[in-house]
Amino acid sequence: MKLAADRILSLLLLGLAAFVAVQAWQLEVPFSYDPVGPKAFPLILAGLLAVLAVVLFVRPGASGEWPTGALLLRLLFTMAVLGLYAALFINLGFLVTTALVSIVIAWLFGAGPLKAVVGGLLLAVGSYLLFTYGLGISLPTGSWIEPLLGSN
Amino acid sequence: MFDFLIQGFGVALTPLNLGLAFLGALLGTLFGALPGIGPINGIAILMPLAYTLGLPAESALILLAGIYTGSEYGGRMSSILLNVPGDAGAVMTTLDGHPLAKKGLAGPALGLSAVSSFIGATVAIIGLTLFAPLLAIVAVKFGPAEFFALMIFAFASMSAMMGKDPLKTLIGAVLGVLISTVGVDSGTGVLRFTFDMPELYDGIDFVVMIIGLFAVSEILLMLEHAFRHDQDGEMAPIGRVMVKMSEVLYCKWAILRSSVIGFVIGVLPGTGASVASAVAYTTEKRISDHDNSFGTGNMRGLAAPEAANNASAAGSFVPMLTLGIPGSGTTAILLGALMLYNINPGPMMFREQPVVVGGLIASLYIGNVMLLLLNLPLAGVFARVLQVPRWLLVPSVAILAFVGVYQLHSDLMAIYLMLVIGVFGYLLRKFGFSLAPVVLGFVLGGLMEENLRRALSISGGDAGILFQSKLSIGLWIAAALVVLVPMFAGKLKAKFLPAAKAS
Repeated sequence: MKLAADRILSLLLLGLAAFVAVQAWQLEVPFSYDPVGPKAFPLILAGLLAVLAVVLFVRPGASGEWPTGALLLRLLFTMAVLGLYAALFINLGFLVTTALVSIVIAWLFGAGPLKAVVGGLLLAVGSYLLFTYGLGISLPTGSWIEPLLGSN
Repeated sequence: MFDFLIQGFGVALTPLNLGLAFLGALLGTLFGALPGIGPINGIAILMPLAYTLGLPAESALILLAGIYTGSEYGGRMSSILLNVPGDAGAVMTTLDGHPLAKKGLAGPALGLSAVSSFIGATVAIIGLTLFAPLLAIVAVKFGPAEFFALMIFAFASMSAMMGKDPLKTLIGAVLGVLISTVGVDSGTGVLRFTFDMPELYDGIDFVVMIIGLFAVSEILLMLEHAFRHDQDGEMAPIGRVMVKMSEVLYCKWAILRSSVIGFVIGVLPGTGASVASAVAYTTEKRISDHDNSFGTGNMRGLAAPEAANNASAAGSFVPMLTLGIPGSGTTAILLGALMLYNINPGPMMFREQPVVVGGLIASLYIGNVMLLLLNLPLAGVFARVLQVPRWLLVPSVAILAFVGVYQLHSDLMAIYLMLVIGVFGYLLRKFGFSLAPVVLGFVLGGLMEENLRRALSISGGDAGILFQSKLSIGLWIAAALVVLVPMFAGKLKAKFLPAAKAS
C-alpha cells in the first residue's frame, strides 16, 4: 500500500517532467548572444526528474499514512475555510474574517463552542491591535464598513 | 584580518540592532518551544515581520538569525518535557532528555542543555569568525564554472547526508529548482511557465513560497496530528531550573567533541542540525557509553546533540556568508531573505557586504549570550508556552501567514498561491519528502542556471569549461565522493559487520 503511493508519485513526476519538457520546447527564443538560452536548463531538469522518477518507480520507499474518511474531510474543510478566508479577507475586512476563521479552526481543533468563540474574538482583536498599532501594518478594514465611516 | 568583526560589533551594538537581536532571541525561543514548530517553520512564519518593520538588510538579518539560533535553543524544551521533538534537529534530544525529565530531573536537564547549547554555539561562532575570512579568500577565485560545481556539490552532500531517503532529497531539490525557473528568463526576457498569468511574470515570490510550504502545510499536519492523538503527552514537572558545575564538568568532553562535530557538519553545504545532532549522539554513545545508559537519561546523551545542533546552526553560516551557498534549509531561507534586499549571495558577499556579514557575526556572539541568560532563569516561563492549546496556536499561525503575505503584496492572488503551495508542501511531506532540499533548490535554482549560462557563454557553448579549473574538478570529485562513499560504506558495513546494524 505504502509502496503504491510512491509508484503513483513516480508516475505523476514523469508526467510533470514531460509537461515541463514540452512547455520548454515550445518556448520561442528571440535571437541572443547567449549560447544556452532559456530552454536548456528546464530541459535538463525535466530529464533529471524523469530519471529520478523511474528510479523511484523501481525502488519505492515508505511514505506516511494517508488521511481517509473523517480526517480527509476535515483537511478539505480546513483548506476550504482558508480559501474563504482569502476570498473575503479584503471585502469583509481583517477583523470579521479573522474572528470567524479563528472560531472555526479553534472548533476544528477540539475547543468547546464557548472557548472557540471567546478565543477567536480575542485573537482577532488582539492581533488587529498588535499589527495596526504595534507594527504599523495597514490591514483591510472591509468595504462594507467604509460607507458607515462616512466619506473621509 | 578581523577588521570585519570590529566593524561588525559597531553595527550590532547600535540600540536598534541590540533590540532586534533580543527580540529575535525571544521570539525564536518561543517558536522553537512550540511543539511541532521547529526552527525552519518558525523562521518561515516570522520572516515577513522583518520586512514589515522596514528594516535595513543587516538589521533584518540580525533579527532573522536571532530567531534561527533562538529556536535551536527553544527546540529542546518540547523534546525534554513532552518527548515531542520540535523538528528533526531535536529528535536526538528526546532520547536522553525525556527520560531525565521522567526521573524528575527536568529542571537540571533544561539547565544542562542550555549550557551545552551555549558552549556549542560559542565554539561554532568562534570557528565561523576564524574560518570564514579564510574561505572568503578562496571564494574570490570562484568563477561561474566553479560556482556551478559548488552548487552541485551542495546538492550532492545534502542528498548523501540527509539520511533516510537520498532519492527523495534529490527529487525535492529538482522540484525546487524547477519552481525557481517560473517567470521571466533574465537572459532573454522569455516568459517561462507563467501560463499567461501576469502574477507569475516575476516568478514565484519567495515569501509566498516559504509561508505556503511551511506554515500552511504545518496547519494541515497539526490538524492531522490532533485528530490521531487526542492529547499530547503528559508534561513532566519542571522544578527549579539549575545546573550544577559538576554536571557540566561531567559532560565537558561530550560537549566539546559534539561542538566540533556540529560545526564541521554545519559548514558542509546542504547539511544541518538533524545530521549534526545524530552524528554527535552516535559518536558520543560509542565513546563514552560504558554502562549502556544512553537512552535512559544519560546527561552526556543530552548534552551531545544539544551542543551539536546549536554548533551546526552557527556553522551553517560559513558557506552562506562566504560562498553564498546555504549550509542548511534554514540558512537557505535567510539567504533568500537577503536576495530580497538585492544582495547577491555568492563568493563576493564577504567583500562587498562587510556591514551585513560583520554585523551578523557580531550579533551571533551577542545573541548567544542573551539566549543563555534568557534560557537559564526563564526556562520555566518558556515551558509554559508548551501548554498553549493547539486551538489557539493554529489560528495564530494562519493569521501570521495571511498577514505576512498580504502586507507584502496586498494581492489576493498571492494568498491563493500561498494556499496552493501549502497543499503542495503538505503532499510532499506526506510522501516522505523533507522540505529543506526543496527550499535549497528554490533559492539556488536561479543562481545555478545563471552561472551555468555564464560559464557556457564564456566558452562559447563548450561544456568542457565546467571541468577545466583544478578547483572545479576538485568540487566535482568531492560531489561524486560524498554520494558514492556512503553508498559503498553502507554495503561494506552490512557485509562485514552484520552486528553494526543492531546498534
